[in-house]
Amino acid sequence: MNEPTPVPPVMQTASPLPAPAPPSLHEPRPLGDPAERAPISNTFVAIEAILRHPRRLLFQMRQPGAGKLIAAMISASLICGLIYGVVVGTFSGGTQLWIAPVKIAMGLLISAAICLPSLYIFACLSGSQARLVEVCGLLAGLLLLMTLLLIGFAPVAWIFSESTESPAWMGTLHLIFWLVATVFGLRFMKAGFSHANARSQAGINVWIVIFLLVALQMTTALRPILGKSESFFPAEKKFFIGHWGDCLKSAPEKSKGASPN
Amino acid sequence: MHIQTQLETTKPHLGEIATLLRGDVEKTAAWSESGDARRVALQIAVIIAGAGCYGAAMGWWRDPRQALFTAIKFPLIILLTTIGNALINAMLAPLLGLNLPFRQTFAAILMSFAAAAAILGAFSPLIAFLVWNAPPMSPQAVSESAYSLIKLAHVAVIAFAGTTGNTRLFQLLARLGGSRAVALRVLFAWLAGNLFLGSQLSWILRPFIGSPALPLEFFRATALHGNFYENVFHSFLQILND
Repeated sequence: MNEPTPVPPVMQTASPLPAPAPPSLHEPRPLGDPAERAPISNTFVAIEAILRHPRRLLFQMRQPGAGKLIAAMISASLICGLIYGVVVGTFSGGTQLWIAPVKIAMGLLISAAICLPSLYIFACLSGSQARLVEVCGLLAGLLLLMTLLLIGFAPVAWIFSESTESPAWMGTLHLIFWLVATVFGLRFMKAGFSHANARSQAGINVWIVIFLLVALQMTTALRPILGKSESFFPAEKKFFIGHWGDCLKSAPEKSKGASPN
Repeated sequence: MHIQTQLETTKPHLGEIATLLRGDVEKTAAWSESGDARRVALQIAVIIAGAGCYGAAMGWWRDPRQALFTAIKFPLIILLTTIGNALINAMLAPLLGLNLPFRQTFAAILMSFAAAAAILGAFSPLIAFLVWNAPPMSPQAVSESAYSLIKLAHVAVIAFAGTTGNTRLFQLLARLGGSRAVALRVLFAWLAGNLFLGSQLSWILRPFIGSPALPLEFFRATALHGNFYENVFHSFLQILND
């Protein structure tokens, strides 16, 4: 009798599929895949969406009742701005622990409010079909992504705050972190406009320059954010380039560094 | 739907380090996805042991106590860098096209550091032998040639370990993301962040070999005065002025 040869059990090896790549923000296909239609129920879902599924957020911003979502995003970015502000405040300590967060959150909000009208105008000029509420949503997305990334940089910023005495150096570091975070935020915003049928990105690019200048000037208008001061607002008016020049000139000699040994 | 495979349920053991070093991406991808706490603990243990042994060999030339200090500090830099950058690394990955959860990005980076630490640990007897053969370090005289040789050996070993760890990380990221271009983007972003923080942590935790002319101590009194990049900047200015 022919016994069937026992077939050895096939060892199943783990072969996890590659993580589903998030659809590129700039992918030309229209928004509204089933996955993108899932409603965003709370702020945490919005945070998750802006990091992992930005197209879902872009889709939800076009739906009726997007105002609540936008308000939640702005609130979240304010909270993130406050948290990062506390880390900025640790450089000087004392009253800066509450002054720096307030100034940073306030500065972000005021910069966005100042730039919102021009953003809407440039969006219209570029042929975008985005409504004002969508433009507000894209700006809120920019703020949220920017402040979220700043939170990500916060542990690194704190380590440097504890070991550096030069405000000029710390200021430069915070500016670099802010710039990196802003680049990602602007990328999200530009993708939003490209999905709103904008014919050209030229107007948005001009607006980006304006926004960067406003935000940089805000750091000077609300100074000192890093250092200490007698008054909440500065007495002297300055442009940010002039202020930076003054800071670099007055950088303390003691920051010349300890021995590497 | 995730299928609980046999590999994912296998109890973590030390032999897995060989898998990490071989770059078996199928297995490492499954490990990164499973998020097994025991595996994370094992990798942390490998980092502490491997980098610790290497640190001990590095500090031994100066003094046995320096060996102990460096054995503590070396793994500390790796672990603090991993933890300090965990959040930003997890945020950058999806933004650069690799949609991984926080747990998985943390696991991927930890695995690459574990592979590098295993290499460092394996080289620690060689470094110890080199140090044992070197003329002793004393405040009166330090042999320049011995110092140069030991320095070069450290550079070579650390560069080899770092390169291997990052190559394995790249292979894993390419497997997880399904694209080499995305993996490269994410790897460079992570590398930049880890180097930036790692350099500063090394500066704070100095010395590692220790100058014989200076007292033996865990931290320099100036550990939290100034930072690595300021020092590099001022050195650069000094060269220009001279």
